[in-house]
Amino acid sequence: MFKKDLGLLILILVVGTAVAIINPRFLSPINLSNTANLIGLFGMFSIGMGFVIITGGIELSVGSIFALLGVVFIDLLVTFGWPWPLAILVIVIAGIALGWLHGILITRMHLQPFVVTLCGLLIYRGIARWYTEDGTAGFEFGITFPALEWLTTGRSFGVPHSFVVFILLAVVMGVVLHRSVFGRYLFAVGKNEEAARYSGINTSRIVIAAYVISGALCGLAAVYLAMYTRSISPASHGSFYELYAIAAAVLGGCSLRGGEGSMLGIVLGAILLQVLQNLVNLLGIPSSLNFAVMGGVILIGVLADQQFTRRRQARLGKP
Amino acid sequence: MAVLELQNISKHFGAIHAVSDVTLSLEPGEVVGLMGDNGAGKSTLVKMIAGNFRPSHGTMRLEGKELVMHRPVDARQHGIEIVHQDLALCDNLTAAANVYLGRELLIGFGPFGVLDYASMYQRAAQLFKELKSETRPRDLVKQMSGGQRQAVAIARTMLSKAKIVLMDEPTAAISVRQVAEVLHLIRLLRDQGIAIVLISHRMPDVFTVADRVIVMRRGRKVADKPIADSSPEEVTGLITGAIEKV
Ligand SMILES: Nc1ncnc2c1ncn2[C@@H]1O[C@H](COP(=O)(O)OP(=O)(O)OP(=O)(O)O)[C@@H](O)[C@H]1O
Ligand SMILES: [Mg+2]
Repeated sequence: MFKKDLGLLILILVVGTAVAIINPRFLSPINLSNTANLIGLFGMFSIGMGFVIITGGIELSVGSIFALLGVVFIDLLVTFGWPWPLAILVIVIAGIALGWLHGILITRMHLQPFVVTLCGLLIYRGIARWYTEDGTAGFEFGITFPALEWLTTGRSFGVPHSFVVFILLAVVMGVVLHRSVFGRYLFAVGKNEEAARYSGINTSRIVIAAYVISGALCGLAAVYLAMYTRSISPASHGSFYELYAIAAAVLGGCSLRGGEGSMLGIVLGAILLQVLQNLVNLLGIPSSLNFAVMGGVILIGVLADQQFTRRRQARLGKP
Repeated sequence: MAVLELQNISKHFGAIHAVSDVTLSLEPGEVVGLMGDNGAGKSTLVKMIAGNFRPSHGTMRLEGKELVMHRPVDARQHGIEIVHQDLALCDNLTAAANVYLGRELLIGFGPFGVLDYASMYQRAAQLFKELKSETRPRDLVKQMSGGQRQAVAIARTMLSKAKIVLMDEPTAAISVRQVAEVLHLIRLLRDQGIAIVLISHRMPDVFTVADRVIVMRRGRKVADKPIADSSPEEVTGLITGAIEKV
């Protein structure tokens, strides 16, 4: 597991060095700071996605949740004039509620995670567009929330707070994943649900908890993304973002079959994705090729990892 | 006094009568061989005793007290341990993690407890040593041989002081030497006063280690007699149905 993470780190360094040599602007403080901000924004919900994937599930509704909770968040602040801490609390709770709903549908109604969250993807985006009548929700010119802005889009010593929050979350969730009983049960349930159940683990509760955690992190990320973009057109806000999270988790060593993954891997995966985005921008590659580059690198990364694993197992003489 | 009594236990899965009207009792320190053809209902029977399934009919008594279980944990709390037929291990976890699955040792309190890796590795290593297995606690189960996986599954039953240990084909798919070790282990457990149910298709295993043999055919108990009064030929006949019932 550690070897995997090391490989990813080396890949990030190699790509980073190559970009820096070709275009030194990569290392400029402003570029690093912007990249860190994006890593933070996208990393936050990638952690939740990692938890879900480790249980053998998937969460496709992430981007639509951002659109729905984003417009509601802005509405709460602007139209209803709620104090922002209360608005954030409500949004995170709403994220938790959606995650819980997905978990219930998957464990109690025995629906497939892909189906449940695909329906979520369609439903939440639809509601978001209907709610705003397909208009753009945003902060009116001149309205400011100094404390909220400091927390979300602010920087200390050039370090974006979104990145700081991401790292703090990663540390806390890393302990949960690798040092707590709950984390261990996530891996057990993801690999062999029946064995876990026979061992006396309440497997439904573990799965639901994974979706709830993902939902909570999505709620938080919805706030950060809304503050970052400052205006939300519900038809496109956050679309495809679930794929960034899945990509980060898979690059980081999570298996879509469940039971595999590490927090360090997810963090490195999220970093690598944004470095790649940055590469596309800085090297003057047409931004239309953005997704193609990402897809290509993930494919190569996963292939390489598979080859390494196979060779290591061949050396150990085990199938 | 019997440690476990089953009274007219049945289990239906829809129209399938996996176990029908089985009555039996287990004495402390007794090894019972449970035999029968594929699909005879052996696994279903022991899974009911282990709290995996709830009986459709009938009652179970543990040391004279009626036993109602809803979850596998309930059985474990009553001192009933099981080695499942497919071993029910998580391949992605280490040997020690599998041994402790569902009853992890923690440092700290309540929700803030973190896994006590050191103690679990240490105790698991000790158990593997008792089992004379070369299994290393830190190895991932997916990299293990059949015998090592068996050792992990058996070590699970030794974590707490059990009254009853149910073994569903513990000697399938392991080498002759390892079979001897498993049989040796069964004797060790028996000498501690633990009642053991050994499910096996291997006649020699049952006749080496069991005190009593129970034969099931199509969900029904067709024989229950001391091993000394039976013979492999008779048991074979009972399993296939050549001998109707004794
Ligand atoms: N969960 C289940 N749902 C439906 N039917 C089941 C279930 N478990 C077992 N059965 C059925 O119950 C019957 C008895 O199965 P069981 O596994 O107890 O047999 P067995 O004696 O252990 O066989 P084997 O020697 O092959 O392990 C079989 O017909 C099986 O198909
Ligand atoms: Mg069986």
